[in-house]
Amino acid sequence: MDAILQDLRYGLRMLLKNPGFAAVAVLALALGIGANTAIFSVVNAVLLRPLPFPDPDRLTMVVSVNPAKGFPKFPASPPDFIDWRAQSRVFEEMAAVDGAPYNLSEGTEPERLNGSRVSASFLGVVGVKPVLGRDFLPEEDREGAEPVVLIGHGLWTRRFGSDPGIVGRTIALNGKRRTVVGVLPQGYTFPNRSEVWTPIAFDHDELSGRGAHYLHVFARLKPGTTLEAAQVEMDTIAERLRKQYPDSNTGWGTLVSPLSEMMVGKIRPALMVLLGAVCFVLLIACANVANLLLARATERQKEVAIRLALGAGRLRLVRQLLTESAILGLLGGLGGLVLALWGTDLLVAAGGDNLPRFREVSVDGRVLLFTLGLSLVTGLFFGVVPALQASRPDLNETLKEGGRGGTSGPGRHRLRSALAIGEIALALVLLVGAGLMFRSFQRLLSVDPGFRPDHLLTLDVALPETKYPDGARQTVFLRQALERLGALPGVVSAAAATTVPLAGGVISYSFSIDGQPEQPPSNRSSARYDAVGGDFFRAMGIGILRGRGLLDSDVAGGPRVAVISSGMAHKYFPGENPIGRLIRIDNDHERAPREIVGIVADVKHSSLDGEAAPHVYEPLAQAPSTWLTFVLRATVEPMSLATAARQAVLAIDREQPVSEMKTGEALVSDSVTQPRLAMILLSVFAAVALLLAAVGTYGVVAYSVSQRTHEFGVRMALGAGRREVLGLVVRQGLVLAAAGVVLGLLVAAGATRLLAGLLFGISPTDPITYGLVAVILTFVALLACVVPARRATLVDPMTALRCE
Amino acid sequence: MTANGRAMIHLEGVTKVFYTDEVETHALATIQLEIKKGEYVSIAGPSGCGKSTLLSLLGLLDSPTDGKYWLDGKQVADLSLSDRARIRNLQIGFIFQSFNLIGDLTVFENVELPLTYRGMKAADRRQRANDALERVGMAHRARHLPSQLSGGQQQRVAVARAVAGSPLILLADEPTGNLDSKSGEAVMELLRELHRGGATLCMVTHDPRYARHADRTIHLFDGRIVEESAATAAS
Ligand SMILES: Nc1ncnc2c1ncn2[C@@H]1O[C@H](COP(=O)(O)OP(=O)(O)OP(=O)(O)O)[C@@H](O)[C@H]1O
Ligand SMILES: [Mg+2]
Repeated sequence: MDAILQDLRYGLRMLLKNPGFAAVAVLALALGIGANTAIFSVVNAVLLRPLPFPDPDRLTMVVSVNPAKGFPKFPASPPDFIDWRAQSRVFEEMAAVDGAPYNLSEGTEPERLNGSRVSASFLGVVGVKPVLGRDFLPEEDREGAEPVVLIGHGLWTRRFGSDPGIVGRTIALNGKRRTVVGVLPQGYTFPNRSEVWTPIAFDHDELSGRGAHYLHVFARLKPGTTLEAAQVEMDTIAERLRKQYPDSNTGWGTLVSPLSEMMVGKIRPALMVLLGAVCFVLLIACANVANLLLARATERQKEVAIRLALGAGRLRLVRQLLTESAILGLLGGLGGLVLALWGTDLLVAAGGDNLPRFREVSVDGRVLLFTLGLSLVTGLFFGVVPALQASRPDLNETLKEGGRGGTSGPGRHRLRSALAIGEIALALVLLVGAGLMFRSFQRLLSVDPGFRPDHLLTLDVALPETKYPDGARQTVFLRQALERLGALPGVVSAAAATTVPLAGGVISYSFSIDGQPEQPPSNRSSARYDAVGGDFFRAMGIGILRGRGLLDSDVAGGPRVAVISSGMAHKYFPGENPIGRLIRIDNDHERAPREIVGIVADVKHSSLDGEAAPHVYEPLAQAPSTWLTFVLRATVEPMSLATAARQAVLAIDREQPVSEMKTGEALVSDSVTQPRLAMILLSVFAAVALLLAAVGTYGVVAYSVSQRTHEFGVRMALGAGRREVLGLVVRQGLVLAAAGVVLGLLVAAGATRLLAGLLFGISPTDPITYGLVAVILTFVALLACVVPARRATLVDPMTALRCE
Repeated sequence: MTANGRAMIHLEGVTKVFYTDEVETHALATIQLEIKKGEYVSIAGPSGCGKSTLLSLLGLLDSPTDGKYWLDGKQVADLSLSDRARIRNLQIGFIFQSFNLIGDLTVFENVELPLTYRGMKAADRRQRANDALERVGMAHRARHLPSQLSGGQQQRVAVARAVAGSPLILLADEPTGNLDSKSGEAVMELLRELHRGGATLCMVTHDPRYARHADRTIHLFDGRIVEESAATAAS
C-alpha cells in the first residue's frame, strides 16, 4: 500500500514535471474516452438498459405477418386479436393498443394530446400501477361501458395542478366527458408518448373486419415460458384461423418478438457501427499516447538505468511506469466524462423526439463504471509496451552505437513507426466510413420526394366524433377550414388529406379493379390510400400526369372518383389506359366502384429511401374523415402562418386544437434523423481520428528528426542542401502515410461491409470515396511533416557534429 | 591584397566570435592563412585554441564573423546557405575524429552519399565509390554496415567518402583521435598516400608524430596563429 502511494506520488510528480506531454496525452485520451462514453451511454440506454417495466424480458409484441404481400411486421385486426387472446395459453395477459389523439377542451385553450386506446388488461401487461386512483376494470373495455380515462402524470401536473381530487372528476375529451379513474406514474408515457389512456371497445363492425389491421398487440409471457414456445403456440392458432377464415386470413401468420427488439431493433446496426467507430478513435488515442511514452522512455533511459543499478527489480519498475500511465488514463477518463456529459446532451437534443429511447439517454452508474474501467484498461493498454521497453534499456547496444560514432535512423523507431502507421490506417477506415455516410446522406437528400417541401405548412386536426359524428358535419368543417385557411394572407392554396408524406402516418387498403379477375379479400393487392380535399395536388406540388386531379365538384352524392399514382398505373394497368376504369377500395362495406379520373406523380410516402408504393386517392367529400392534415402552400416563410392558421381553426370551432405544425422541409428532414445523426457522429469521430493521427504522425516524425540531428549534420557537411534534407523528412512521412493508407484501405474494404445496411445509393466500396480519403490522409500526413521538416533544415551542421 | 592565383585557400583577417548567453567567445582572431594546391598543412595547438573552428570555417560549415576567404580564387565568406552546401559537396572532403558514418547506410551507400547530392548518374556514382573504396582497401566490405566494422576500418571508409568526389581539399579534424595507434598509423599512411597522389590536405592533430609528415604546421594559441613551422621530415 505504502509502495503504491509512493508510486502514485512519484508518478504525479513526473507528469507535472512535463506538463506539455501530460496535457497532450490527457487530451488525446479524453477525446477517445469521451467519444466512447457518449456512445456507450446511448447504447446503454437504448440497447442494454432493460425497458422500464417489471420483468421486461417477458414483454413481447405479437404481430401479423404476411411474407407473400411483403408485410414482415403488421398490426393485428380486432377479431384476430380476440381469437389470439382467447386461444393462447402461454401469455399471462395480452392487450391491444390503438394510438388515438384526443382533444382536451378544459378551461381556456383546447389542447391536442397523444393518447392510446388500450385493452383493460394493458397496464397489467406492462406491469405499471397508477400512483393515484385505480387501473381499468375488466368490464370497462366492453361496448356500452361507462366512459373512463387514465391520465399521465405530466398532464395531471400541467393542466390540473396535481390536484389529488382529480380522480372521480370528468374531463372533456373529443367532446365527450370521461371520468378520470387514475393517474399514472411520473415519466410513464408508453406507448405513443401518451398522456391519456382510454379503454378500447370494439363495435360490431370492428369485430367483423378481419382485413382491417391496425392493432398493436402487447403480451406478457407466463413466467418460465420461452419465446419459442409462444411462437409455436401462436403458429398453431394462426394455422387454425387460416383454415377457419380463408377469405381474410390466407397467407397471414403471427410473429412473437421481444418488445425491446420491436422498439429499438432498427437503430441497433447504426449504434453498433458507431460503437466500432469510437473504439477506433480510442485505439488511435492509445497509439498516440504510447508513442509519446516511448519517446519519453528513451529520454528516461538514464533514470531507469540508475534505478536498476540501485537494485530496483524490473517488476517494480514496470509497476512504477504503469502507475504513471494509469494516472494518465484516469485523468483522460475524467476529461472524457466531461466531454461525454456535454456530448450526450447534444445527442439527446438531436435525436430525442425521433429516435427510440433517446430520451432515456443519461450517464448512469453503469456508464460511470464503463468509463472507469475503460480508463484503467486504456492506461494499461498504452502503457505496457513502453513500460516493458523502458525497463530494459539495452545499455550494450547504446554504448556500442555511441562508441562507433554511428547515427540512429528510422530502424530504431520501428515500433513507433508501426504505431503511427496503425493510427493512419484506423483514421482512414473512419474517414472512409464517414465519407460513405456523407455521400449516402447527400443522395438521400437529393431524392425527389414527389412533392415540393418548400413553402409548405402542415397541421393536424382530429375532429372528435361526438361533435362531428357524420360525414356531412365533417365535410362542413373541412369546407369552412379550407376557406378560412385559403384566405389567409400569404397562402396560395389550402388543402387537406388523411395523411401527408413522411409524417409517419400510412393508410393502406386492399382494392380490386373491375375487369380484372376477382380475388377473395385476403388475396387482393393493397395500395397506400388517402382521401384528400381542396386542391391537394397543387398545394403539395404533386404533378398531375394524366387526366385531372380531384375537384371541389367531386361532392358527396356525385359520381365516385379516384386518382391513382403513376406507379400504380404501371403496376396494375400495364400497357393500358387506367382512365375511365373502375376501382373498388375495401374502406367501406359497399365497395362502391370509383372511376379513375387521373394519374399523379409518385410520392415517397413513408421514407425517402424506400420505393414509392402504389397510391390511390379519393375526395374527402366522398370519404369524409375525422383525421385531417391541412397543407398550406405559402408565399411567405411557412412557420410565420402558424398563429393565423391556429386562429382560423379556432374561429370555426372554439374547442378544436391543432397540433403537429410542421413545415414541409421539417417533414423531410425529420424523416432522416437517424441517418443524419449517424452521419454527423461518424464525421465527428473521423475528424477526431484524423486530428489524432496527424498529431501521432507529427510526433513520430518530429521525434525522429530530433534523433537524427547528428545524421542531418553529417549529410549537410557532405553537401546536402535544404531540399535534400526536406526530402529525407518528407519521405519518412510519406512512407508512414503510404503504409497506413494501404493498410487502411484493406481494412476499410472489409469493415465498411458492415456499413452496407446503412448506406443509400452508394456501394460500401465506392472508389471515389476511397480515393478522396486516401488523398486527404496523405496530404494531412505530409502537413504533419512540415514543421519537423523545417526544423531539420535549420540544423546547424557545426553544432550537430559538435554534440555527439 | 588579392588572392594568390595558385593559393587554394586564402584567409585574410578572419575572426570568429561565438555569442552564447551574453558570453562572447573569441575563438579566432585576425587569422592570415594561405594553403597552396597540393600542400599538406597540419594545425596544432592546445585544446580550445580554435583548431576545429578554423577547420569548419575552411570547410564552409560556418562563416567568419569578420574577414575574407578565397577558396580557389573565389570569395566565399558571404555565400548563401545553399551555395555553401554546393561548394562543400563539390570541393571539400571532410574526415572527422568520430568518423560520422551514417549508421543505417551501408559502407558503399555512405561513400556514394556526397555524389548523390550532385545528381550524378547511378553508374558513375558506383564507379567512383568503388574506386574510392578500392583506394582505402575497403572494397570487400562495401555491403557491410558501419557498426560491423572496427574503428580503423570505419575511418578508412570515411576517408573514401571524403575523396570519392575528388574535392579540391581534404579537411581532417583529428582523424586518429578515436583510434588505437596501429589503426591510426594506417589511416595516416593512407592520407600521406593521397597527398603524394596530389591531394591538398589540411589536418588538425595533437600528435607531433603525425604533424611531422606535413609540409608545414600552423600553431594556434588562443585563437591566433603564433607560429608556422616547416616540416622537419617532409616526405
Ligand atoms: N558553437 C559555439 N558556441 C560557443 N562557443 C564555441 C562554439 N564552438 C566553439 N566554441 C568555443 O570556441 C573555442 C574554440 O573551440 P574549438 O572547438 O575550435 O577548439 P579546438 O581547438 O578544436 O579544441 P579541441 O582540441 O579540444 O578540439 C572554445 O573556447 C569553444 O568553447
Ligand atoms: Mg577540436
